[in-house]
Amino acid sequence: MRRRLLLAATLMLGALFAPAAAAQDYAAPPAAATQDDAVQHATNVPERVDIITPHITDSHSLEYPCLAPGWACHLELPRWKPIHIGGLTLDLSPTKHVVFLWIAAALCLVVLIGGARAHGGSKPDKSPRGFSNGIEAVVLYLRNEVVMPNVGPHGDRYVPFVLTLFFFILFANLLGMIPYGATATGNISVTAVLALITFVMVEVAGMRTLGKKYIGTIVFWPHDMPLALKLPMTVIMTPVELFGKFTKPIALAIRLFANMTAGHVMVLALIGMIFTFGASFIGLAVFPFVMVVAIMLLELFVAFLQAFIFALLSAVFIGQIREAAH
Amino acid sequence: MRKILTLSLFLLAAPAYAAEPAESTSLMSPNTGLMFWTLIIFITLWIVLARYAFKPITAAVEAREAALREAIEAAKRDRDEAALLLLQHRAKIEDARADAQRFIADARTAGEKVRAHMLEEAKAEQQEMLGRARREIEAERDRAIAQLRREAVELAISGAEKVIERNLDSDANRKIVETFLASIPVSKPDRASR
Repeated sequence: MRRRLLLAATLMLGALFAPAAAAQDYAAPPAAATQDDAVQHATNVPERVDIITPHITDSHSLEYPCLAPGWACHLELPRWKPIHIGGLTLDLSPTKHVVFLWIAAALCLVVLIGGARAHGGSKPDKSPRGFSNGIEAVVLYLRNEVVMPNVGPHGDRYVPFVLTLFFFILFANLLGMIPYGATATGNISVTAVLALITFVMVEVAGMRTLGKKYIGTIVFWPHDMPLALKLPMTVIMTPVELFGKFTKPIALAIRLFANMTAGHVMVLALIGMIFTFGASFIGLAVFPFVMVVAIMLLELFVAFLQAFIFALLSAVFIGQIREAAH
Repeated sequence: MRKILTLSLFLLAAPAYAAEPAESTSLMSPNTGLMFWTLIIFITLWIVLARYAFKPITAAVEAREAALREAIEAAKRDRDEAALLLLQHRAKIEDARADAQRFIADARTAGEKVRAHMLEEAKAEQQEMLGRARREIEAERDRAIAQLRREAVELAISGAEKVIERNLDSDANRKIVETFLASIPVSKPDRASR
């Protein structure tokens, strides 16, 4: 067990050399832009350039490392004609975040199916070695310590859902940590859909487990009260119950979105400060630099933490509705 | 250090950062296309992972747990069996020891018996030998007495002959001596012969 934990820890540490490289990447835009402006306008007044918003919002191009000015080239993504379904317009052309979701999903597939392959066929009493063992440790931990205790009896069928949530969000978060990457989970659309799926999953779990009693989770109907009290209680509490149903996924969506966005804004702001400080006296740049590295490390931790929290809370919500007996 | 920093600043400050496309979306505006993609990607991932990743991993882990449990059970069984065997062996050793003790005790009593028997035999033999010796001695003595008596008779006769040669009737005298000799008790010459 100890060895497995060690492997999981190594897995986490493995990603740690990203920050230094990332700092360089983020550093490119502001300095470059300032220089550019200075050349073009030949004025001493630096134009204000927003380096943060483009980084944390979606776009139709991908950045990739190259020797061009700014150390980044842009790959324009194809644009497809929007599809109209009724009144709804769906623009399915891939954006940066869509691409990073694909990558995250592909990584999930490679890592997890690869981990599963390592188990394949061989003697059942032998655990796999190395990375697969680490994956297995994480999967087992989430299954036995997060999903099963929270979801309650017969929680087996909800394990894949929660595990998929965890790994998908984790890889999406981590992709934002590497240079030229983008954080798809820092996009409210993505987190909103993930929360929506969780919401549906929770309600379906409620219907499945409670059957007819599921109505009780919507309409508040206290059995041990006189009718005169029952009716006003129902009138007052039903909106509260309904409200509760929706606040949980909304909180999920906003928590993940805000955490990922805030961390990146912080890092970018501090990277900007490296250049602001360095412009007056180069030695001063050390302080924001150290802070950037520290915040980067924190962000790595947060990437794991938020994925874990999303998965954990989903399991908790499923467990709550399954044992709700009003 | 300073040089490196300056250099890196210079390098990074190289011209033209290609500006983001103008229609860069705002932070909070939802994008239906992205939402749709998220949904599709997540659902697909969920189905595929559930089928090809989590199921095999869980199955493998469960199989391993079962194997381990079985191994532990088997070990426990073996241990119990070994303990039982040990107990049996201990009992057997105890038995053997008791047997040995009994054998020794038996041998001892048998030895005692033999010794007593032999002692008795020896005593009896000694007694017998003693008796035989006594009997032989007695026979010897009787023979000696008889001889002595005969010789005494001879002596007496020869003595008497001498006397009678000088006297008259030897037969009458001989009778007198015979009667005299017969009157002498047996014990007296016995004591004298010793």
